[in-house]
Amino acid sequence: MCVGLSARVVSIDKGTALIDASGVKRKVSAELLEDLEPGDYVMVHAGIAIARITEDAEKETDKIMEALHDGNGTGDH
Amino acid sequence: MTMEETVTLAHGAGGKQTSDLIEQIFKKHFSNPDLTADDAAVLSLNGRGKIAFTTDGFIVSPYEFPGGNIGKLSICGTVNDLACMGARPRYLSCAFVIEEGFPMAKLNEIASAMEKTAAEAGVRIVAGDTKTAGKGQLDKIFITTTGIGEVLENASPSGKNAREGDSIIVTGDVGRHGCTILLARNEFGIQAEDVTSDCAPLWGTVERLFQVTDRIHVIRDATRGGVGTVLYEIASESGVGIHLDSRAVPVSDGVRGVCSMLGLEALYLACEGRLVIFVPQEEEAKVLAELRKCPYSGNAAVIGKVTKENAGKVVMTTEIGAETLLPRPGGELLPRIC
Amino acid sequence: MTETAREIIESYRGRPLRIMEVCGTHTHEIFRLGIRKILPEKITLISGPGCPVCVTPAGFIDEAVFLALEKKVLLCTFGDLIRVPGTQKSLAKAREEGGEIRTVYSPLDALETAEKNPGKNVVFLSVGFETTVPGTCLAVRKALERKITNFSILGANKTMPNAYAALKGSADAFLYPGHVSVITGTKIYEELREQGVSGVVAGFTAEEILSSLAAIVRLSGKKEPFFLNCYPRVVTREGNPAAMALIREVMQPCDARWRGLGVIPGSGLELREKYISFDARKRFSVPEMTGEGNKGCQCGRVLKGEIKPCECPLFGKACTPLKPVGACMVSNEGACSAFYQYGEN
Repeated sequence: MCVGLSARVVSIDKGTALIDASGVKRKVSAELLEDLEPGDYVMVHAGIAIARITEDAEKETDKIMEALHDGNGTGDH
Repeated sequence: MTMEETVTLAHGAGGKQTSDLIEQIFKKHFSNPDLTADDAAVLSLNGRGKIAFTTDGFIVSPYEFPGGNIGKLSICGTVNDLACMGARPRYLSCAFVIEEGFPMAKLNEIASAMEKTAAEAGVRIVAGDTKTAGKGQLDKIFITTTGIGEVLENASPSGKNAREGDSIIVTGDVGRHGCTILLARNEFGIQAEDVTSDCAPLWGTVERLFQVTDRIHVIRDATRGGVGTVLYEIASESGVGIHLDSRAVPVSDGVRGVCSMLGLEALYLACEGRLVIFVPQEEEAKVLAELRKCPYSGNAAVIGKVTKENAGKVVMTTEIGAETLLPRPGGELLPRIC
Repeated sequence: MTETAREIIESYRGRPLRIMEVCGTHTHEIFRLGIRKILPEKITLISGPGCPVCVTPAGFIDEAVFLALEKKVLLCTFGDLIRVPGTQKSLAKAREEGGEIRTVYSPLDALETAEKNPGKNVVFLSVGFETTVPGTCLAVRKALERKITNFSILGANKTMPNAYAALKGSADAFLYPGHVSVITGTKIYEELREQGVSGVVAGFTAEEILSSLAAIVRLSGKKEPFFLNCYPRVVTREGNPAAMALIREVMQPCDARWRGLGVIPGSGLELREKYISFDARKRFSVPEMTGEGNKGCQCGRVLKGEIKPCECPLFGKACTPLKPVGACMVSNEGACSAFYQYGEN
């Protein structure tokens, strides 16, 4: 339902962030995330930065697969 | 389609509605042995050699965009349609319809782009027409170009000629023109310096291909509806199946970025300087090597092959290596957000 | 790591496992990647009601058409809604008839459109779940702050928690929507686990979807309800508190009609009293429109996973992506559209 785009914050100005996703730039609202800084990665939906991205997708799935393999999987990440 | 309906934007989008409109209205009234489903009709006058003959109307908003303008586009479109029949473009006519209030300096720029592009393609503009229309009767400027070309003796490409085992080559990264226009309209506030139109005259490229092989089965320029639409057209016209390796389709980072922002698929976005070429597999290496030496096809890539099974369909290998249908193109491209 | 996600999924031979993805973007990606083609016989994926277009009743489109054609407002909408059939016509049809309808990327763009066109009434069609609602709330709050009086919204926003409850029993496990969870956080899934509902939060790349499905396969073996966040790089337990606070400030829960599912109590959002002047229904006295879709349409049963799209009598005959009857066929993220376009049966 919700097309999201992961992008890098280029600059911040009064609640608006300029974001970059493979050379494609757009201004989005940064009002819903505290203390965003240039260089942070964010998830953008419909013109609003809705979350910080803390890791790249590959590392994350590797960790999950390791956890499944170790037989522990119900813990909270 | 029924006569109670009205024309919608989808009827001009190049997908199924466009072919229904052509089938049920134009083909019904215009049908004759020379009417073509290809990019240009191949005709014979006095039995001396063959000519290719085509026409194309251009409306593009905005009329200037990164990588070109409506003038350059109007020459490339017709030149490329002729080239797709293996025809050396010789003569063009152009008809302008211009809205009252259009800046003279801009008209000059458009004509200058046409001059330059025609020179590059080796074609002469030999006749023209000018009409003006009142403010609001049209969107700034429309251009229609009509072209005649000489078909090379060793050329007979056609949408009907795809054969089992053929390799399918695309001459560069896809979706650039469509993406550029989408951004140039500035409706979505997106900036992408790297995204420019691929608009280019491709006769030079095609001429060189016919110098290395006679065995080119199909050439089609992937304009409206993009490469995805061309693949479905050929599958249907030749009665064959097409196997597409979606991982092999070249897409620039910028186009990929815009597509992921707006939920679009690059395979359906228009190109104006990309050919889809079908050749027997044994010719593939030669053709690819030649294409990569040409100015507009350095990134040419093999994207699939023709199969006997799945006639009329395009089956694709996805990013995870699974096989599924490529959805049939259809309708107006709409950003998918929520 | 000895076994890949794909190997875990493909080698599954246990009891039949029904997994429901509740997010339209998951549905779209699952089909696009061909994930259904690699599933073993025992695993079935069901496309649930997580596409806002699919669950928006026909009456909402009728209201939007009324605003565009009768009240001559400038409608701003996500592209997703343009071709959805109302009782009489779609927005695409209304546009042909002269209605001014623009596609926008963000609710904030709709607000900007209002600021740039002071002589026009601009109405934003506010559909979407928790992910999309904060953007609308931000636009409405800014409109109040900046005293922009020619902007309003036609709302059909929905929230997921009560829908999960309504869908309990439709599947053995849920693939929870990654970007809704970004906002809501994951505590709700822990509560659902206590009620016996299992699921994992999934991201949207091929690896993320596959590893989430693999997690479901593995955890299902334990025979007790489970929850796992498989998208922790974006989704946290707390969610986005600023976004949740903003939603609470601007909107309040209400009962909502889901196309095909009927009214689910407390599953909708409407503007609070302080912001009520931005409600287009009130501002333009929109008459009540309870337009129902085609009676033969089985979208509701499809959304609940009771039947496959191809088991609907209209599927592929009266109802195709080019001439959709039900919303699941028109939305690019709808189950019927995906089944049709990818040749599934």
